[in-house]
Amino acid sequence: MQHMAQLSPGREQSQGAAVEVRGLGHIYAGRDGAVPALADIDLTVPAGRFVVIVGPSGCGKTSLLMMLAGLRTQTSGTILVDGRPIATPDPSRVGVVFQEASLYPWLTAVENVEFPLVLKNAPRDERRARAEAMLNLVGLSGFGGRYPHELSGGMKQRVSIARGLVQDPPVLLMDEPFAALDEQTRMTMGHELLRIWSQTSKTVVFITHSLTEAVYLADEVIVMSARPGRILDRVPIDLPRPRTYQMMATDVFGALRERVWHQIRDVP
Amino acid sequence: MTRPSPRTVRRLIGLGLLVLWEAVPRFGLLPELFVPPLTKTLAVLWLDRSIYGAALLVTLYEVAVAMLIACGVGILTGAIVGGVATMRNLMLPVFSSLYAVPIVILYPIFTAWFGIGSESKIAFAGVYGFFPVMLSTAAGIRTIDEQYLLAARSMGATLPQMIARVIIPASIPTVLAGLRLGGALTIIGVVVSEMLTSASGIGYLVTMNRTILDSPRVFAAIIVVLALSVVFDIIVRAVERRTLVWQTAGRRTASPEAAAPARLATV
Amino acid sequence: MSTAAVILIRIGLLAVFLGAWEFLPRTGIVNPMLLPPLSLVIDTLFDILGRGDFREAMLVTTAEVLVAFIIAVPLGGAIGVLAAEHAYFGAIFRPMLFYVFSIPKSIFLPMFILAFGIGFEQKVAYATFSTIFIVIMSASAAVESVKADYVLVAQSYGATRAQILRRIYIPSMMPILLETLRISMIFNFTGVMIAEMYASRTGVGHMIANWGENFMLPQLFAGVVVLAVAAMSFNELVRYMEARCSTWRS
Repeated sequence: MQHMAQLSPGREQSQGAAVEVRGLGHIYAGRDGAVPALADIDLTVPAGRFVVIVGPSGCGKTSLLMMLAGLRTQTSGTILVDGRPIATPDPSRVGVVFQEASLYPWLTAVENVEFPLVLKNAPRDERRARAEAMLNLVGLSGFGGRYPHELSGGMKQRVSIARGLVQDPPVLLMDEPFAALDEQTRMTMGHELLRIWSQTSKTVVFITHSLTEAVYLADEVIVMSARPGRILDRVPIDLPRPRTYQMMATDVFGALRERVWHQIRDVP
Repeated sequence: MTRPSPRTVRRLIGLGLLVLWEAVPRFGLLPELFVPPLTKTLAVLWLDRSIYGAALLVTLYEVAVAMLIACGVGILTGAIVGGVATMRNLMLPVFSSLYAVPIVILYPIFTAWFGIGSESKIAFAGVYGFFPVMLSTAAGIRTIDEQYLLAARSMGATLPQMIARVIIPASIPTVLAGLRLGGALTIIGVVVSEMLTSASGIGYLVTMNRTILDSPRVFAAIIVVLALSVVFDIIVRAVERRTLVWQTAGRRTASPEAAAPARLATV
Repeated sequence: MSTAAVILIRIGLLAVFLGAWEFLPRTGIVNPMLLPPLSLVIDTLFDILGRGDFREAMLVTTAEVLVAFIIAVPLGGAIGVLAAEHAYFGAIFRPMLFYVFSIPKSIFLPMFILAFGIGFEQKVAYATFSTIFIVIMSASAAVESVKADYVLVAQSYGATRAQILRRIYIPSMMPILLETLRISMIFNFTGVMIAEMYASRTGVGHMIANWGENFMLPQLFAGVVVLAVAAMSFNELVRYMEARCSTWRS
């Protein structure tokens, strides 16, 4: 496949930790003084892994993701992405896919995808070809000329993923990307994401509220607690890949989901 | 029974009004001094076309300069007030409080300062149109979806890139709505000030002919003003359609939110 | 920035503005004939407030504004509700209203003068005319702002029409209704001012127009200050009520 040639080397070739978090803590100034949002976060994500973070609302998982993206600065601790600290957003190392469609409504799908390259002043032909290849990868070839309002919710999130991948960053961060979709579309998108992931070999950190989605997608599920957000448990998901919808009906799948649910339920 | 479409009814109403305009004075239901027949008005307009044409040119010149001032200063101030949080907290309540003052009371000051020529009209209409442009620009920038900015930051956008590629395009619809309103208000401001104290322009023709009780010529001037606002509206709509291809059809029509800036409008 | 700081800075800006108004003409940087110093304007202000003709003019203007307001708001409100509730009627008249909105209503002043003369009735009639369209539009926006879901929930619990009106419509429309009152007053006041400045024998608008024509700038500025303060006071009063009524809004 043509687009695969343009992406970074396969998963089996990447080594070491793509994301490394050491002793991360965050305190923000709330109305009644300082509020600890995150505490003692240690997290190592090997290159090419698919890690899903779950936890109750307000456990700081979105804050954590923002810090991994360099969009917010932590109070203490270090974050290494691709071996180097990340203090400001660096789209060549980290791509971000947001929850709601954060596509720009005044740009077409292909213009949205090439937007990060426009910011880098890449030559027009080059960035257009690259963006088309990404749209092709996410299954939207032929839709490049459409404006976001002419696309369905699922298609918009495909465009967002294409945009996150366009600079070929080793790490892709996803903040509840499918939360606004209906259940069927959500399942399809999860499946599609796994296909894209297996073709591109990115390291993915994915936040969700859906336990089924978490278990279905992940190599490892990280369970967080609230106020301050801490890592409660790390659940390895050793279901075989490629994952299939049928796996969701198996006892193993049910037991894994139960284990995660147990942790979250016990959180006050 | 099926009802005729609203558009048909509207056209019928419009046609009815024109027919009434002709028939009512013709049959003596109202004196011609009050409403001269439509045909008579149009005939006068044609007869005096050079006078009306010259007056229209004066009015158009004043409108053009005033619009430039209102839009330029309005967008600039609105961008500062909307974009800088400190300015917003400080100034926005002040501006919306000032907006309650009937701006027309400033017109005597402008005539005292600038005389009764075009300058006083331009100053007054400029101030008149400034407020909606400024307020909608500020609102347009303030209400930009946080996600757009966050996404741009995550893609490594610098501040100038953020302004040029996200903030400006994202605020265009609201700013355009403000320009539309501001433009309409500048026309209104020019006509009102010409009517009040002036020696030229369409508004002056209204007042001058009123004082000599020449009703057909008053109405001829009214027709010119109405035509002016219609043409302006058509132009702005065309510009909006061309600029906002990316908008959903629903957002462009008169939703309550779209009407909100319109509430700042006109007398 | 804290609220106290904001208020302090605003007071500071006001002081700079007033100071400039006083000192620029005093020092001759600005021609005091064109911009009379603040102290002179304030002296004149007290002077004209003590004059019988000015007080009478204020009474007349106030009466015109109030009567026009009392006519325009209920009438426009009723038409607006009709336009919002009656889809067909609304579809016919809404676009026409939008157009009427953007034309200078002052060009119809000559007709009002022919019909009503240049007295009290003409001011009221013109101000009503220039206000009513904004009331119609705001009232239909207010009705449309009531979420269909709220009504549906009330209906499912067996609420009667009267109950729905009282319990759902009125409370949800309250903030917009107050906003309508506020904006209508701006229009109404402007309408009366234009009518008085255009052709009149009394009223504050007539007086300031006269002062302007006769180059009596201290009086003119004093009159403008009185009118501006009156307009802003009413505006702030309604805004205060708006803020109190809409605490439940996010």
